[in-house]
Amino acid sequence: MFKLDRRSFLAGTAGFSFLSTLPSIVLADAHGDTLRVAIAGETGDLDLLQNVSTLSSYSAVFDALIHYGPGGTLEPGLATAWKVADDGLSISFDLREGVTFSDGTPFDATAAEWNLKRWMGVADFSWIGIADAYDSIVIDTPNKITVKLKRQVPAALLELTIVRPVRFLSPKAAAGQPIGTGPWIVESHSSTETVLTRNDAYWGEKPAFARMELKVVPDELARANALRAGELDVIGGDWVAPLSPRRAKALEGEGMTIVAEPGTATTILGFSPKSPMMQDKAVRDAIFLGIDRAAVAAVLFEGYADPTVDIFPATVPTAGSRTPVPARDVAAAQAALTAGGWAGDAAGWTKDGMALEIAFLVSEESFPGSRRIAEMIQGMLTEVGVKANIETVDNATMHDRRPKFDYDLTFFATYGAPYDPHGSLGASFVTASDTGPDGKIYIHPDLDVLVATALETGGDAREGAMQAVYDWLRDNTAACPLVVVQRIWAVNPRVTGFSLPVTDYDLPFKGITLG
Amino acid sequence: MQRMFMRRTGLALLLMLAATALTFWLVTAAPGNVAALIAERAAGAGADGAMIQKIADDLGLNDPLPVRYVRWLGDALTGDFGVSIRTGKPMAEEFSARIPMTLTLLAGGGVLALTLSLVMGIAGAASNGGVVDRALHGMALVGASTPNFFVAALLVIVFSVWLGWVPTFGVSGFTSWLMPWFTIALFPASVLARVVRVNLQDTMSRPFATTGFAKGLTRRAVLLREALPNIAIPYMTTFGAQFTLMIIGAIVVERVFGLAGVGSFFIEAIRFRDFIGMQAILTLFVVFFVSVNLFVDLLAMLADPRLRRPRKA
Repeated sequence: MFKLDRRSFLAGTAGFSFLSTLPSIVLADAHGDTLRVAIAGETGDLDLLQNVSTLSSYSAVFDALIHYGPGGTLEPGLATAWKVADDGLSISFDLREGVTFSDGTPFDATAAEWNLKRWMGVADFSWIGIADAYDSIVIDTPNKITVKLKRQVPAALLELTIVRPVRFLSPKAAAGQPIGTGPWIVESHSSTETVLTRNDAYWGEKPAFARMELKVVPDELARANALRAGELDVIGGDWVAPLSPRRAKALEGEGMTIVAEPGTATTILGFSPKSPMMQDKAVRDAIFLGIDRAAVAAVLFEGYADPTVDIFPATVPTAGSRTPVPARDVAAAQAALTAGGWAGDAAGWTKDGMALEIAFLVSEESFPGSRRIAEMIQGMLTEVGVKANIETVDNATMHDRRPKFDYDLTFFATYGAPYDPHGSLGASFVTASDTGPDGKIYIHPDLDVLVATALETGGDAREGAMQAVYDWLRDNTAACPLVVVQRIWAVNPRVTGFSLPVTDYDLPFKGITLG
Repeated sequence: MQRMFMRRTGLALLLMLAATALTFWLVTAAPGNVAALIAERAAGAGADGAMIQKIADDLGLNDPLPVRYVRWLGDALTGDFGVSIRTGKPMAEEFSARIPMTLTLLAGGGVLALTLSLVMGIAGAASNGGVVDRALHGMALVGASTPNFFVAALLVIVFSVWLGWVPTFGVSGFTSWLMPWFTIALFPASVLARVVRVNLQDTMSRPFATTGFAKGLTRRAVLLREALPNIAIPYMTTFGAQFTLMIIGAIVVERVFGLAGVGSFFIEAIRFRDFIGMQAILTLFVVFFVSVNLFVDLLAMLADPRLRRPRKA
């Protein structure tokens, strides 16, 4: 009969422990030449003309004429060179020679024209300046085209770097077939994963590994656990598979590599331009001065955020001069209220019989973590004497109330690279723009003129015109920038050479080698 | 008998109709504008008021609610549940891709709940106040009061992250289903185990059980041969109710384990204000709830002649 003694118990335990590690070893080895990246939602069919597919996968499959480089520099894509005419009414592109789509169709001026005419001059894409100002396309040579415009579009070249619809599809691609010239080819896509294989005919630097699997994992904790278990190699990116600062901190403590860099989108506290209370600049000043941005960044974002009072971070082109972030100053905030005709103290303020009490609209669904930030700000404002009532609503209610300016205070974020600064300025700070459920950060007739001028000004004068907008916003305390959340990714130890993709709309693969 | 079947089926259809009408009203009453969302999907930031108005007119969104409901119902009866605002695909297509995933989850979870509950319930009754009975009682209480997202996270940490035995997410063979099945089965299994245990205890004190003992049968024989068949009806009806509730668990479980089923689609539909998707899935849930309960009712009627007797005043 079997007798369980101490020696056999220890031997059995050791053997069991070893066997229990085998599945993970086998799992890790089975993916040698494949990078497994988490995506929060299915990629879809990557239709360039529909706003349905996940934005992060387009740039892996499709190229644009111009690519967005670090800090908003313009880098050659399918165009090797470009020239904007002196009058700004035409742009010529030298097309890259010898490029083919992954179905073998050559990329040339005819293919470029076919692609551009799918969205330029089309009403659905009038939100893109160059599409709205489009006049005609001229094929100069088989590898050179000129786009003629009805009016100047100073941001035209930057607009050509956005995710969609500006990228190039094979003219011979069947409906629903994502055939591009990019470094990856879509092998298959389903509701659970998209498999990409390396395009060995790619004109640029080819990825070091042959295959990339984009795994759909909607839940953030599940993504983190999959990374821990070695089933995923990379998680993160606001538009790929968001990783919260708190989760990143936890993963960092468990041996995962966390890569974080300054972000390109600013989290802003917006003042309703229709709220009588918020029309009072003294109130806006008091709120602006009464918030400790450094504490918000350190406590709520675990240090993965940078405090700011500028509308755009320095990582965005023509973001304007930098303003030092003031320390929180309760006395100055209260002095601003007193100067504005308010009477009171930390216990509360009144003016013309009206108590200083504001509605603070928050939606966790729209902006995860916003409730905690709102509560922290509420506490800070209470010390100033400003009573902020937090209203937590669902996403749909937020999307209904924000466009109607049905709030006093709420959160906004700028679009980030590659859409800024022209994207956020033209949408969120202009009275006439139609931003649908996103609402607007601030609008004012004077601001409309300044923004219009800035967006229409090209050349050397552009920076000054942009700065005038930023100055106006700051002088009028039209918005209350809080922090720039960093771009956070977590990487499995088998991945080496990881660097952040240029924007959070791109997948990480450049420079990566797999161990 | 046949008349009673027909009556129950008719009532179930009426219930479905009323429930779809209610959900239709609730979904349309929710904040948000379907036309604006569709315009946004088509044109992104370029969606303007005129475009939104045109879409609203084309879809008849300005018509009175009853007219819209009747139109929607007519389409739904032909299998046309509209096009998802989020994915741009017809909901019928989404259903055909996702229902098999959810059915596999529910079927596996159902079998597991059935097995676990019977084993735990019978073992508890056999122990009858002993250590096993008390331990199983405690386990059932814990299982019935632990939220499934917590169970899922715990299982993943232990069996995937620490031991590496099963994958944390997705479907990659039989083993990848084990944790989702267990997670979704734990609550119903715990509740049903108590149903089995309590009913067996009650049945074991009935005269026919005493007769069994008098005939010299062992406790185990009386339990399995005499008592167990007699708890079939209450067990079946409770199992039906618990099985339908598993679809609510599927909403969480599918998301946590990265399963592309109807439940995870429902969460995304809510997040993206995909009203068309929400309405279609709620309808599916209603049909599921009512159908399973009807099936269980009919089965109980077949099994127990007393339930087939017409009610007397």
